[in-house]
Amino acid sequence: METSPSIVARDVTFSYGDKRAVDGVSFAVERGEILGFLGPNGAGKSTTIKMLTGQLTPGSGEIEVLGMPMPARRTEIQARIGVCFEEKNLYPTMSAAENLRFFASLFGVRHFDPLPLLERVDLAQRAKDRVADFSKGMRQRLMMARTLVNTPDVLFLDEPTDGLDPVSARAIRALVRAEAARGAAVLLTTHDMMEADELSDRVAFINDGRLLAAAPPEQLKLAYGQRSVRIRRRAADGSVADEVVALDAAETPERVKAAMGAGDVLTVHTEEATLEDVFVAFAGRGLAS
Amino acid sequence: MNLRRALRVTRKDLRLGPRSPVFLWVILLPLLMTFVFTVVFGSLLEPPPRLAVVDEGSSAITGALLDSAGLRVVVLDDEAELRRAVTAHEFDAGLVLAPGIDDALAAGEQPPLEFYVSGSSLASTRVILGVTTLGLLREVAGQSPPVDVVVTQLGDESYVPLEDRLMPLIVAYAVVIAGMFLPALSIVDEREKRTMDAVLVTPTRLSEFLFGKALLGVLLAMAMGLITLAINNAFAGQVLAMVLFLLVGSVMMAEVGLMLGSWARDSNTLFSAVKGGGILILAPVIFILFPALPQWIPRLIPTHYFLTPIYEIATRGATLGDHLGDLGVAAAICVALLPAVAAVGRAAERRSAMTV
Repeated sequence: METSPSIVARDVTFSYGDKRAVDGVSFAVERGEILGFLGPNGAGKSTTIKMLTGQLTPGSGEIEVLGMPMPARRTEIQARIGVCFEEKNLYPTMSAAENLRFFASLFGVRHFDPLPLLERVDLAQRAKDRVADFSKGMRQRLMMARTLVNTPDVLFLDEPTDGLDPVSARAIRALVRAEAARGAAVLLTTHDMMEADELSDRVAFINDGRLLAAAPPEQLKLAYGQRSVRIRRRAADGSVADEVVALDAAETPERVKAAMGAGDVLTVHTEEATLEDVFVAFAGRGLAS
Repeated sequence: MNLRRALRVTRKDLRLGPRSPVFLWVILLPLLMTFVFTVVFGSLLEPPPRLAVVDEGSSAITGALLDSAGLRVVVLDDEAELRRAVTAHEFDAGLVLAPGIDDALAAGEQPPLEFYVSGSSLASTRVILGVTTLGLLREVAGQSPPVDVVVTQLGDESYVPLEDRLMPLIVAYAVVIAGMFLPALSIVDEREKRTMDAVLVTPTRLSEFLFGKALLGVLLAMAMGLITLAINNAFAGQVLAMVLFLLVGSVMMAEVGLMLGSWARDSNTLFSAVKGGGILILAPVIFILFPALPQWIPRLIPTHYFLTPIYEIATRGATLGDHLGDLGVAAAICVALLPAVAAVGRAAERRSAMTV
């Protein structure tokens, strides 16, 4: 069994002409780990994935996937990875089963049966239907199934739940967790902070091509976010107002006591920092900007 | 290169083909062109002269008629059936040979001969059947022709009917459209739908992907070229030569198709390029259609080296030996195009990956 990390990037750079898209990025993903790769549009997430999957060659730096150097051993690496693109790049005139069979054949999978995989993404009933007739959610689930045709050791998932309905998104998250539990390393890019928080063992922030931080979400939120208590009161005149009290300040006990005694308390909630808050703390701007 | 993976790409495209209107158009176009050209300029709908014979004895004339090239001769059982069939224009004419007619002719008699002509038959057909029958009767009678026919050919001996000169145009269309356009369109389509990216993150290499597309073009171009030659009766007994020239032509066109498909950013660009550049690729056909034009010009165009030999073999009795030089040049062009195909393909892969 391989003991080294499944994905290693060391000081990797890439430029589109004069524009440096990825600038000295280094990180590693262990077997069975889910790394959430977060950053705004144009931050360098997709370019990094393209280098890791062999679609682009880094300008400098080193990449190892499953202990093998990329791109030197690209074909061997690609035989053991699964890539889920942000774009729904399926063959629309083929059926769901035909799409899976074709890609399984490219991986050299023998005696491939698409039905168990289609059952996992709840598409078994539509196995023979043309992809052109599928909804966005169905296509995305089929994309996820296609990613798994070769039972990959490493998964690269680029916005796998982008724009999906809650049911489809939940199904895909469950699939990602199951794959990680099986032992696959997962590199996941997403705009959805809640999703990253929920799924990722660690998150890595990237902005302007540079990696800002990489740590478990809880650790980042504790280190860089601000915890607070939100107290909702009804005043004597009947109006409702919230008071937010920071938890980690010296005057916190006094302020909480004062707030609780100041009127009719309706609700009290503790609030954690979000990954968005952490990203702002690092980058000085939000993820959506 | 893993040939098996390349074949999987080809097999996938062949299976998807019938679901694509463009694919069907490529297959049907040469057949449609053949039909139109032969109807307009040729004799596709005109059968050879048809003669029904009732032989009441065992005349040698019947055997001679059956052996005659260019006639469709059917022996019927009785005169009533013959009259019905000719009246219904199932035959252009009918001939009733009475018992002992051969002996009567040999004896110098002039026995009566019943010759029925369909009212719907062409005058030219009646003349052909009449003259052929009279000639055979004279042979059986042992008579020499009453005149010594002097045959003088008028006009250019190299004249080839327009229908035959149009044949290379149909072959060119079959080979160019199937061999070049289909692979090019398939590549552009895969790039536009970004399925090419999905294929290239599997162990499939770009060379395998392109080889699979080229094979699709070569197979279809060969098939359509052979079918076109067959339905135009253009093999002229030189099947090997035709197959060889079609093969180099198909490979050459498939290579051009790979370059076009790799170069074109989208299907609009591809269609524009094919419309603009198609005339150059098909230019040798113009010089075949108009032989008075300077014939050194088409030698500058690569497609000349398979189109012109196919035409020469089909219509002028040329052989493989007569065009070995052309075959060598065509094969050399195919080899010379390989590095260009590889370079353009790599550039296309880079461009595709850099599209964020």
